[in-house]
Amino acid sequence: MKRVHLTVNGTRRQFVVDEDRVLLDLLREDLKLTGAKQSCDRKGQCGACTVIVNGKTVNSCLTRVAGLEGADILTVEGLGTPANPHLIQEAFVIAGAIQCGFCTPGMIMATKALLDRNPDPDPEEIKHALRRNLCRCTGYARIFKAVELAGRFLRKEITPAEVTPDPNDGQIGVSHQRPWSMLKACGLAEYSADVIMPGALEIAVVRSPHHRAKLLGIDTSEAKKMPGVAGIMTAADIKGSNSMGFGKDQPVLCTDNLPVLGAAVAVVAADTQKQALAAAAAVKVDYEELPAMRNSSEAMAEGAPEVHPGIPNICHTAGQIKGDAKAALEKSAAVVSGEFYSPLIHQAPLEPEAVVSFMDGKGEDAQLVVIGRSIWIHQHAQMIQDAVGWGNVRYIEAFAGGQFGIKCDLTSEAIAGAAALHFQRPIRYIPSLTESMWMTPKRHPFRMKTRMGADADGKLTGLEMDMIVENGAYMSIGPGIIERALGMLSSGYNIPHVLVDAKLVYTNDAWGGAARGAGPPQANFALESCMDLLAAKLDMDPCEFRCINGLQPGQTTSNGQATDDWPFNACLEKIKPIYDQAKKEARVFKSGSLLRGVGLAGSSFGIADPGDVSNVSVELDSDGGVTIYGSVADPGEGNDAMLTQICAHLMNIPREKVRLSTRDTELTPDSGLSAGSRQTYMSGKALVIAIEALKGAMEACGATTRDELVKAGKAFRYMGTNTKSHTGMDQKTGQGELWDSYCHGVQLAEVEVDTDTGKVRVVKMTAVVDPGTVINPLAVTCQIEGGMDMGAGMALREEYVHGKTKDWVSYKFPTTKTSFDMETIFLETPREKGPLGATGVGEFTLVPTHPAIINAVYNAVGIRIYDMPATPEKVLAALKAKTV
Amino acid sequence: MPENTGEQRRNIKYINGLEIIIDGDGFMQNPSLWSEEVARFLALEAGIETLNDQQWQVLRFIRAYYTEQGKEPMNHKIKLGVGLSLMEIEALFPGGIAKGARRLAGLPKARGCAAG
Repeated sequence: MKRVHLTVNGTRRQFVVDEDRVLLDLLREDLKLTGAKQSCDRKGQCGACTVIVNGKTVNSCLTRVAGLEGADILTVEGLGTPANPHLIQEAFVIAGAIQCGFCTPGMIMATKALLDRNPDPDPEEIKHALRRNLCRCTGYARIFKAVELAGRFLRKEITPAEVTPDPNDGQIGVSHQRPWSMLKACGLAEYSADVIMPGALEIAVVRSPHHRAKLLGIDTSEAKKMPGVAGIMTAADIKGSNSMGFGKDQPVLCTDNLPVLGAAVAVVAADTQKQALAAAAAVKVDYEELPAMRNSSEAMAEGAPEVHPGIPNICHTAGQIKGDAKAALEKSAAVVSGEFYSPLIHQAPLEPEAVVSFMDGKGEDAQLVVIGRSIWIHQHAQMIQDAVGWGNVRYIEAFAGGQFGIKCDLTSEAIAGAAALHFQRPIRYIPSLTESMWMTPKRHPFRMKTRMGADADGKLTGLEMDMIVENGAYMSIGPGIIERALGMLSSGYNIPHVLVDAKLVYTNDAWGGAARGAGPPQANFALESCMDLLAAKLDMDPCEFRCINGLQPGQTTSNGQATDDWPFNACLEKIKPIYDQAKKEARVFKSGSLLRGVGLAGSSFGIADPGDVSNVSVELDSDGGVTIYGSVADPGEGNDAMLTQICAHLMNIPREKVRLSTRDTELTPDSGLSAGSRQTYMSGKALVIAIEALKGAMEACGATTRDELVKAGKAFRYMGTNTKSHTGMDQKTGQGELWDSYCHGVQLAEVEVDTDTGKVRVVKMTAVVDPGTVINPLAVTCQIEGGMDMGAGMALREEYVHGKTKDWVSYKFPTTKTSFDMETIFLETPREKGPLGATGVGEFTLVPTHPAIINAVYNAVGIRIYDMPATPEKVLAALKAKTV
Repeated sequence: MPENTGEQRRNIKYINGLEIIIDGDGFMQNPSLWSEEVARFLALEAGIETLNDQQWQVLRFIRAYYTEQGKEPMNHKIKLGVGLSLMEIEALFPGGIAKGARRLAGLPKARGCAAG
């Protein structure tokens, strides 16, 4: 032990600590200062734990307290408060640099240290200063702007008031500050691991180390005797269905079949996490390791064993038949083909899959409470109820550190909930980053044999595709992924004849689930690559080729969905002069080893499928304000701003009088999940309906206040329900109306390829997007930018290898070094059925990015990448093959 | 053996002049089209010739809760609402509460397709 004196946020105190205690633990556990976060398993990779020690930034996860005698420590909590924020915190909020907010405290502290030593940094100095701080949401562009803005504030060139929208500017189309941003900027937003729960047991999970195995037995006798151990739970202790996935093939704790590395076998509960982990390592598990089928070729091979005994490895099939594609391709003037591969990709939210759980009350009326990372709290509460066999579950959504689809599935909550019920003690489950990767779904790999044709005039004739989707070990939403891919297959284009055979294949790999776009991004890679291949074959300009193939009124999408309004074509027209200019500029870089190219891709992204329902309630408060109730999770997209601004606009009240209650199953109606780009379109509209009902009641009795409503015998709370009941798409033919709305857009990639190293640098992405009415331009822009950064990762770097990828470095997480310039241009064609004309945008943004970049690589150096990511090795190999 | 719910078949039923879409697991796609007539139809398909008073009590409670609260009731809420034990309610319907009572009451099944 060692005694040290520290001044933390201005207060000097003494601490007696273990020699190996790190500053992050002292701050979070002893001082309850939870602004500094833990993401990277204490490897110093993410910067989320950044604090300032004696004027310099440190990774508090690596800094031993014993060596800090006399140190002056500043954390984000010491910088400012929501009532009295520091100018840097204000700059981050105003600039839109905060989405999920998990990286924000670290970013802000790194900015503070930078601006303290260099009040006027240039862009490269900002990038360098933030090189060790990771962000998944923003693409960094808004963070750089925030640092620049903070510098201007601190140099007194401008004040926050001068760059804050005027409240009198109205509510719609104005970039008002997002309601929860300041809480995040001050480190006060509570994520799951921040919940204070004294006396809670910590749990560790015993997981299979094999890609495929049979569980023969578990011996817990030694582990049970270890220090601090309260008990060990196995599948036999779970009273419910023990099933936690959508496909009913995913146990909370496994009993015999272990189809994937990381399958959960047992749970150890102990007084400390260290004790739990030690005891988990001492649990003796008898495995029979079996040959694993890691990809679809192996799983579909003759005589291959079944991943789930009794279910064929080809676990789902679907098709799309529009016209006669074979005949159309036969007659086409130009036909191109290719086998395209989009790999397994991790959504990579920074926050580990942390959760806490406890029993509220005693006996059979006790309520099992889960506080976790869900973006679908009502659904997940029901799933936990069934899985653990307890009929009274309450789910409270904590702030979530990134989403991108990964939080649609239930993960750690089922285990923590089962443990709280079994041990009848409060439970904290804070898995490592590696374990979080093991327990979560990923973006499905797609293998797409594709043929596409056009006539001599450049009009598309037909598309044929064999689509194999590798599902991994569990069903999750695999069939839905194929449905989505087929429902958006033709994107914004008119393809008269389409034939697709799609197979979903179980493998012994990490399982696929929701991932930003969820199906269409993978399929769009093949489509938009073929668009460029065809343009080249016909010697046409890629932009012109796209323009003549945009869907026209009266024509239908690949799933036969007719539409009158198709702003995709306007997006193409809008980007054309920008594309032409970029092409001219790229010509300057057509010699030497650094060659530039430009590429295009588009997307018409479907939103709101059949059966979608959202319920949102509004309550007129005593002070004339309105409280909105609805489980509209906001893991960073800006749903807080969307709800607030719509309500303030329609009720004609200040935004400060709009209150949000969105996190608790006990308090909210079910608004559905915050995924599928649906919340603005579905819940925004449900809010409009609820407000109309409230206003209607007020007008009917002449009431202007809650008291007057009560006196008139009227309710002061009204619910709006938005239901989608179109018929949907036939599974075999892939025909039918699948979407209620579309978001349209086109993206332009400008890249630089180093022919010596094969390295591709994105110079700039430009997005033209039509999401209907834009409620908060900055929030929407931030979605576009973050999605493009994610798409660039998909194109150039990211591939998750289960068992090998273990942290942010091995995943090639985007950094300030990989960031690039971005520009977003809006068209705003009002959507009749959307709230105030708006629709969703959160996933569209990713769908065109990677094919645009791959097309730009082709434009730069004449090589076509068929299997993403386009790593330097693949690019160099293709360059070499081209010159041979 | 794990249950494979990969099938996404949709069946269209015509009940009282309304087109009712039923998903592959027998749940209504559009809960707002539920009526007692639909419940009787679904019950018949599940092998319940005539819904008895207790079954109707459960279904009506679930429907009322769903309509008024905009969410599905937890099993505990159903238990308190109808004054029967969970075991008794489970036994009232083939498939228990999860696949029986909730389905006949027209509640939707989780929609994996929407996720992304």
